[in-house]
Amino acid sequence: MNVLIVEDNKEIAEEVCDFLCSAGYICKIANNCADALEEFGSNDYDAMLLDLGLPDGDGFEVLKAIRKTKSKIAVIVLTARGELDDRINGLHLGADDYLTKPFALTELAARLFAVIRRIHGFTLNNLGIHGFLLQLQDYKVSFNEVSINLTKKEFDIFQYLVLNKNRVITRLQLTEHIWGDILEINSDSNFIDVHVRNLRKKLDKHTSIDWFETVRNVGYRINE
Amino acid sequence: MKIKHQLAIFNALTRLLVILILWLMLPILVENVVYRHINNGLIEKKKKFIEHLNQQEINDFIENKGDSTETYSQFSTLHSEFLVLSKVSVKFRQKETIFKKEYRIIEGEENEYRILQYHFVYENQGYQLEIGSSLSEVNDLTFIIRLFIIIVLVIILLVTFLADTVYIEYLLKPFYKIIDTKIKRVNEPEVFDHTPINAKSRDFRELDLVLNQMMDRIADVFKKEKQFISNVSHELLTPITLLKSKLENLLQNGSLDDNAIDKIAGSLKTLDMLKKIINNLLLISRIENNQYQSNENINFQEIISELQEDLQDRIEDKGIRFFNKIKHDFVFRGNKTLIHVLIYNLVTNAVKYNKPDGEIIVSDGLLQDRYFISIADSGIGLSESQIEQIFNRFARVSADQEGQGLGLAIAKSIAVFHHIEIKVSSVINEGTVFTLLFL
Repeated sequence: MNVLIVEDNKEIAEEVCDFLCSAGYICKIANNCADALEEFGSNDYDAMLLDLGLPDGDGFEVLKAIRKTKSKIAVIVLTARGELDDRINGLHLGADDYLTKPFALTELAARLFAVIRRIHGFTLNNLGIHGFLLQLQDYKVSFNEVSINLTKKEFDIFQYLVLNKNRVITRLQLTEHIWGDILEINSDSNFIDVHVRNLRKKLDKHTSIDWFETVRNVGYRINE
Repeated sequence: MKIKHQLAIFNALTRLLVILILWLMLPILVENVVYRHINNGLIEKKKKFIEHLNQQEINDFIENKGDSTETYSQFSTLHSEFLVLSKVSVKFRQKETIFKKEYRIIEGEENEYRILQYHFVYENQGYQLEIGSSLSEVNDLTFIIRLFIIIVLVIILLVTFLADTVYIEYLLKPFYKIIDTKIKRVNEPEVFDHTPINAKSRDFRELDLVLNQMMDRIADVFKKEKQFISNVSHELLTPITLLKSKLENLLQNGSLDDNAIDKIAGSLKTLDMLKKIINNLLLISRIENNQYQSNENINFQEIISELQEDLQDRIEDKGIRFFNKIKHDFVFRGNKTLIHVLIYNLVTNAVKYNKPDGEIIVSDGLLQDRYFISIADSGIGLSESQIEQIFNRFARVSADQEGQGLGLAIAKSIAVFHHIEIKVSSVINEGTVFTLLFL
């Protein structure tokens, strides 16, 4: 999967690039509108991460230009402005998703996976890990054809950890993924533990899950 | 009371005062003018009478009558005037000429007269001459004049009152126009109407001009603040994004020991707190800068149900019973996201400060025709002095309290933005009730 990162802050762009590369994406960085359009014209991309505040113009201009072509590129708008107008404007102009800065890289990976899957007509419907099969279409998990009954939240947590496998996922990242970017400061993120505990109990019935690791005081990790 | 009514009433009252003074002064005027006129007439008559007077005539007048009264009297046919000449003793002398007002009966008819009394001595004999002039006509006339004055003045009073009201209303029209079109309907400076008001009075043109200038300044400040907020969010959130990405990437480094992972996760948590403080402060600024639309129809039943679902984990974790008792179908126009944040903040507080196995009751109703929603918890409660402070930014009710104390400051801003009144009542250790009163 080719991803074009359009972001004027080079350091941020590199960090995002590093992360996505380690997740198996092939990334290219453009720092302004002109470069972005040039890159878009010369290479075939599956997805684009688009920052709105660019030195030579508004990211929306790039979005408009891209949507005029027949490209099926998935676009996630990134902005630090966080204004509601941007969201409405962005989704109206054809952005597939929207993330406000600062975002978690793991969240970006999950969103990117979702939009690419959608753009490609839901051809990728299953995720597998140690014999467990996640059916993304209908939120079902099965182990050797035996289906496991998970709640929506448990499924979401499982999918998030699988998508970001081999990575430490903090409670905070999981909480934000499940409940969204809540404004409440110091909101206790331990509620997530209850769901993770239940999830592990359900999975544990079928096979040993020592690959589903608890990182003490921090969060969780699923190792492949 | 409006100024046009006050002015009209003031004018009417001053006119009424003038009328009253005239009315009271009328007898004195009559006395001074009319009586003087009559007195002069009487003196004139007396002069004529005395001039031609000699003993012969006196005798003609008095003695030839043949009766013993020694009085001669003469009167006009309608009793409007009379003349009496009578003998008096010399020692019974008074001032020569006096005027008085008396009732006299002439031929059985009593009338009020203005009388000139004149004493004189002629050939050692004292005489008293009385010439009277009837006042009945004058009195009639006075009465008519008074009546006339009253009628005319009442008419003048009414007409001028009406004229005043109409004219003042006309004069004040630009004033109300300024209030209606310029001030009342303006929620944000961008929509302010700058077209000058057409006013005859210079005062209102000046007021209009000053208002326009003031609005320009406010609009300028608003614009600058908007720019500032935008800059702040960009300048602060970009480095946080960078730090966050770096730390997250660092966290994935396989060679880290537990201690390092712990510290990185701790830094991420702090960074998250920083992000939330900034976002919360920016939210307050944006609300106060009027950057939100408020044109969505909001169903509270829906919002409360959503919230209950969102917070289910926390509610269950504390063993709290949550009752949604919203009954009314109240439709509120506002910003759905903001209203959601407002109620979310109040409900999460109700959860956070509740006792284990406590309860939260969300109910609604009408209070003096105003719709209200109340969120009641069975928590630790607040003292009077705490209630005064809770809506301040960074207010911390107790030392061991978590969070940064922005939740209720945000709630307050959102409420003010939507013209919602927040009321708090609380009993220590029994619970707190937050009531949202809608206009």
